[in-house]
Amino acid sequence: MTQPLIEVADLQTHFPVRKGLLRRVVGAVRAVDGVSFSIEKGRTLGLVGESGCGKTTVGRSLLRLVEPTGGSVRFDGRDVRAAGGAELRGLRRRMQIVFQDPYGSLNPRMKVRSILEEGLIIHRLGTAAERLERMTRALARTGLTAAALDRYPHEFSGGQRQRIAIARAIVIEPDFLVLDEPISALDVSIQAQVVNLLVELREQLGLTYLFISHDLSVVEYVSDDVAVMYLGRIVERAPAARLYAEPLHPYTLALFSAVPSVEPDRRRRRIVLTGDVPSPARPPAGCRFHPRCPLAEQVCRQTEPPATVVDGHAVHCHVAAREVERAGGDAAAAAARMAELMPVGGAAAPAAT
Amino acid sequence: MPLLEINNLVTAFHTPAGRVPAVDGVSLSIERGKTLGLVGESGCGKSVTAMSILRLVAAPGVIEAGEILLRDATGAAVNLVTLAEPRLREVRGGRIGMIFQEPMTSLNPVFTIGDQIAEAVLLHRDVSRAEARGRALEMLELVRIADPKRRLDEYPHQLSGGMRQRVVIAMALACEPDLIIADEPTTALDVTIQAQILDLLADLRQRLGTAILLITHDLGVVAETCDDVAVMYAGRIVEQAPAATIFARPRHPYTIGLLAARPERGGHAGRKAGERATGRLRTIPGMVPAPQNFPAGCRFHPRCAFARLPECAGAMPELREVATGHFVRCPYADALGEPRRLDEPREQIA
Repeated sequence: MTQPLIEVADLQTHFPVRKGLLRRVVGAVRAVDGVSFSIEKGRTLGLVGESGCGKTTVGRSLLRLVEPTGGSVRFDGRDVRAAGGAELRGLRRRMQIVFQDPYGSLNPRMKVRSILEEGLIIHRLGTAAERLERMTRALARTGLTAAALDRYPHEFSGGQRQRIAIARAIVIEPDFLVLDEPISALDVSIQAQVVNLLVELREQLGLTYLFISHDLSVVEYVSDDVAVMYLGRIVERAPAARLYAEPLHPYTLALFSAVPSVEPDRRRRRIVLTGDVPSPARPPAGCRFHPRCPLAEQVCRQTEPPATVVDGHAVHCHVAAREVERAGGDAAAAAARMAELMPVGGAAAPAAT
Repeated sequence: MPLLEINNLVTAFHTPAGRVPAVDGVSLSIERGKTLGLVGESGCGKSVTAMSILRLVAAPGVIEAGEILLRDATGAAVNLVTLAEPRLREVRGGRIGMIFQEPMTSLNPVFTIGDQIAEAVLLHRDVSRAEARGRALEMLELVRIADPKRRLDEYPHQLSGGMRQRVVIAMALACEPDLIIADEPTTALDVTIQAQILDLLADLRQRLGTAILLITHDLGVVAETCDDVAVMYAGRIVEQAPAATIFARPRHPYTIGLLAARPERGGHAGRKAGERATGRLRTIPGMVPAPQNFPAGCRFHPRCAFARLPECAGAMPELREVATGHFVRCPYADALGEPRRLDEPREQIA
C-alpha cells in the first residue's frame, strides 16, 4: 500500500436554499453528504451513479470549483480546503478536470493555442518557446498535430474537441485528473477512441484518475476500484472486478440489471425499481435508498447503515451486512444470496408517488 | 401487407452551402404490432427519416423523392408524402403518435397534464370535454402513474423526468394509434428510469398491439425491445435484419465495429481484484462524415477495416439479402460476420 495521492474524508457539499424577500437560508441541498475515499498514485477510482446523486459535485469539490461545506480533502498530504492563494494555485496545477461537453468547455472565441497556453501562463511554466514545445507535445499525445493550434474549437468534431480538452488538462503536467463524464457526449464509434486515449495517457504519464460516469461498462473497463453513489453518499465500493462480479447493495444490483445489453443471456434478470430518486434537499431518514428498496425493513427506515467491509469490499446496507455475517464473511456467497433476494421483473410496478 | 412502407425516401436540406442529402434513398417497412429499431450515430439521418414520415421536416428540408405508405386495417394505403395537409393532420397524433427524447419539448408548461392529453383526444375524436378528460385519466392509469386523479390537474414542472415521459407516452397513445414513432425516448433518462419506460412500452405494445418505430443510438435498448433492426450510416441503411440475427451475427463492417467498440460488462471475469483490464477497446477510426461530403462509393469505406480499394471507392454497393431477411450493403458481407471474425487481430480495426 502506497501513500494515497488523494484522500477524502466525510466530504460534504451543501448548497443553500434561499427563500423570501430577505433571501434567508431555509434549507440545504445536500448534494454530497459524507463521502470518503482515497486513491493511490497511478490508480483509477470510478464513480458511478444516476443524475443528481452528487458524483459531479464530488469531482468539483476536490478541485474547489465548488466549495465543500464540511469534511477534508488531502492531496499528496496537503489540506486542499485550507489552502489559499499561491498554495491553492500550486495544487491546482497538479489537479485538472475534463468536462463532459466539449462544446461547452472550450471557449469558442479562443484559438486552441490560447486555450492550451492559458494554464501555462497562469502557472508561469516556461518561456514562449518552451510553452510551444509543451503544447505541441500535449497535442501529439492526444493524437492531434501542432496545426490545431491556429484553429478554433468549432473547426473540430466532438471527438477532436474532447482531445483538445484533454490536451488542455495535461499540458501543465498534472498528477491527477477528474474526468467528469468524458465520453458521454460522444458518438459510440468515437467513445472507444477517447477511452483508449485516456488509458494510454494514464500509463505513459503515470496519472491518477477519478473517472465519473453513468456508463457502467466503461467504468468497469477503465477503473481499478469503483464506488457507487446514491443521493449524496457512497453506498458500495470495491475493486472493479469484485464489484461487478459480486455486487452486494440492492441499488447496485438494480443499477447493473437495468442496463440494456446486447447479450441475450444477460437480459432476462431485470430488477425494475419503482419510483424516482428523492430530492437531495429532503433525503429520507435511515438508509437513503429505503423508499425504493424492495428489501427494506423496519431498521432501514430508522438507522443509517454503517459500512460493512469484507476484503476491501465496502457496502452500506443492513440486509447485506446480515447476509455477509450469515455467510461467515464469504462475500461471494453473500452476493449470491442478495441476488436471490432481489425480485426480478416489475411489469406491474407502479410509477412514483 | 406492412403497416408502414417507406420506399426510396430522399430528404435533403437546401442550404446556402449546397444541397445536403440527410436521408438518401431509405426503404423500410414495419408490420402491424412489431417494433423496428432504427439505429445510428448523430447525423446519420435517423431522426430526419422519422420527421419525414409525419412531414415535419423543417425548412430548408424537403422530401425530394420516394413514397411513404400508411395502410389501414383493410389494406388501403395513403401516401403521406403527397397527402393533403388537412388529412395529414388526422394522421399526426391520430394514426401515428410521437414520443421525443426530451419530454418537455412535447409538453406545454402552462397547461395541466389532463388538459394536454384531453386536447389530443378532442382533436381526433368526436367526444365531449368530460369524455376527453375521462380518457386522459384512463391513459394516466394505463402508463401507471400513481394517483392519476391528482396528477391530471398538475403541471409538467411538478413531475419528474420519468413521469413526464410517461405523460408523453399517454398522449401519444390517447387516440389508439397504429404506430408510435419514438425518437430516443429514454436517452435523457437515468438507467433505472429507462428500465421502467422500456418495460412500460413493451407491456403497452403487447396489450394494445401498437407498432413502434424506435429510433436510438443505444444498441442495448434495441436488443431488448425490437423485433427488427435497421442500421443507418451516412443517410443510408447499411444493414437490416431481425434483432436476434443482427446481434448474433452482424455482417456489415460498421455494425461489427459498433458492437465491438463497447467494452463487455463482466468482460474481465477472470481478472483478479486489483488487476487491470488488458488490451485496448476496438475502435472505428476517423469520424462520421458530414452530409456535405459523403465519400464516393461505399460511404463507410474510409473507416472500414475490411475495405478493398479501389472497388469500395467505386460504385455505391446495393443492399442485398445475404440470408433470409438479412440485408447488407456490402459486397463482401458473405466473407464477414463469421462470429469468429470479431476476435480477429485488433490491429485490423484499431
